[in-house]
Amino acid sequence: MRETEATTSTALPPSSSNTPATGDKLHKSTVRHHWIVRVTHWVFAGAFIIMVGSGLQIFNAYPRFARKGETFCCYPFEGTAIPGWLTFGGWLAGARNWHFAAMWILVLSGVVYLTFIYLHGEWRDLVPRRGDIRDAWEMLKFYLFVRRDHPHHGKHNALQKTSYFVMPFIGVIIVLSGLAIWKPVSLGWLTAIFGGYVWARYWHFVSMIILVLLALVHVFMVLAVDPYSIRSMITGGYNERNSPQARNARPFYHLLPRWGRKSRTDRLSEPEEAEVT
Amino acid sequence: MSQLRVVRLVERAYTSLSVRDAEAIEATPESNARKPMLRQEVSNAVSLFNRRDFLAVGASSLTTAMLAACGSHGPDEAEKLLRFAERQNEVVERWLLRHTTMDHARGRNAGKAFPMYFISKTVPVWDASARGPWTLEVSGLVDRPMRFSLEELGKLPARRQRVDHFCVEGWNAVAEWWGVRVSELARVVGAQADAKYVDFRSFDSDFHESWDLESATHPQTIIAYAKDGKFLPPAYGAPARLHSPIKLGYKSTKYLTSVVFMAKRNGGYWSDQGYEWYGGT
Repeated sequence: MRETEATTSTALPPSSSNTPATGDKLHKSTVRHHWIVRVTHWVFAGAFIIMVGSGLQIFNAYPRFARKGETFCCYPFEGTAIPGWLTFGGWLAGARNWHFAAMWILVLSGVVYLTFIYLHGEWRDLVPRRGDIRDAWEMLKFYLFVRRDHPHHGKHNALQKTSYFVMPFIGVIIVLSGLAIWKPVSLGWLTAIFGGYVWARYWHFVSMIILVLLALVHVFMVLAVDPYSIRSMITGGYNERNSPQARNARPFYHLLPRWGRKSRTDRLSEPEEAEVT
Repeated sequence: MSQLRVVRLVERAYTSLSVRDAEAIEATPESNARKPMLRQEVSNAVSLFNRRDFLAVGASSLTTAMLAACGSHGPDEAEKLLRFAERQNEVVERWLLRHTTMDHARGRNAGKAFPMYFISKTVPVWDASARGPWTLEVSGLVDRPMRFSLEELGKLPARRQRVDHFCVEGWNAVAEWWGVRVSELARVVGAQADAKYVDFRSFDSDFHESWDLESATHPQTIIAYAKDGKFLPPAYGAPARLHSPIKLGYKSTKYLTSVVFMAKRNGGYWSDQGYEWYGGT
């Protein structure tokens, strides 16, 4: 983030800043994600896979939302079992055991992550700001080949930012609706908030589907646009030279860094006359 | 560090591997990659609640999770971890349980279609000619062990409640139940102070499920003999069954024969097969 800010500052008239953006600094790996973010990311990912798989196995014990002898308005696949390869836990009891064990890991990693980004300031990279809608639209235009240049952005582009910001809220809905199904009597007030047992089950399912879709898009974009970020989520290291913005990368376009050529960040950081040539 | 010194260190480490560790390595192929420990490390690890083992279990559970997806129950380590989680969950569930927290069923005729359910091959029917008239035996850690006929049960203070029935499968259904509170039974027979668990046994094969006393004496836990204004038919647990909205359906024994107050839990038909013993809602 600091680097990209530095690049923008060069476009401004020379200021009193004593940290000029040099090429050296731009090509050095920096720690993009704090280790707490990296650890909670992978712990959550593992727990989430177990939770989804075992949850679908549990769902398969009664793969519909309507109570017996009734109909349900809002689910088109009533009675259709989830394919076995998507399920986890073997059978209902096994899946329940996994579900009720992994839920603590899921919640714990989520709480640690959210507390950390709140205390450490990373939330600033994620909160929506004025202009995000326009920026998201520009990103979309870029991905759809309507726009030539990758829009300029901070740590995340506007589309990323929005989904990373939304994910915790969906996570909270998943956890609360899950509690409402788990304890419909002890936490009956919570079940009532979700509209009763049947609807709590439905919201649990729907919010899971949304989070799974977001996660799938996330994985796809990591592989197709910014595979270099995998390293940044493991060791933390990230080279701005490889950023999608520097590579002008769309899904499956400009995956390799521009060896031998000046990167876009280079061009941006150079004086204006260099860009003319 | 010289090469010789490294060799010596490795040798020393190998010879000081404890038997317990060797077994652990054999038992867990995932942990083969673990490096041998020095003697001091071994003793440390043992004293610190087998921290290394715990970490190994945690690390391997993710990978074995993928294997278990193919329908197997997973390795023993995962099983241990799941049992541990279940015990911890029970602590939370017991903490959440309140005798003042009641189930409030929504919808008058909601999900009234109860399925018939029993574990025998045919509908279990009490054979009065062979076994004599049906009675409910209440025994165990009680001052006055008693037998109740259906008429005698009916003379006890009756509770009539319209409550949910939550099935472990994920559906719920509402019905109106008539019966006697288990807490009332406990009062009549004089349950002793060291009775912490209650076993509910049936004549449906060898079905039984044991409950914690707090759940069994919840105001909505009843020995039900009628449902929706009719005495229970044989297909639904006649002559009497346990019913409560605060436990999942599989904990509610049908075709009751005896209620035994105990100091220790003794599992149950479904609990012994892997379903949570507590099974509370």
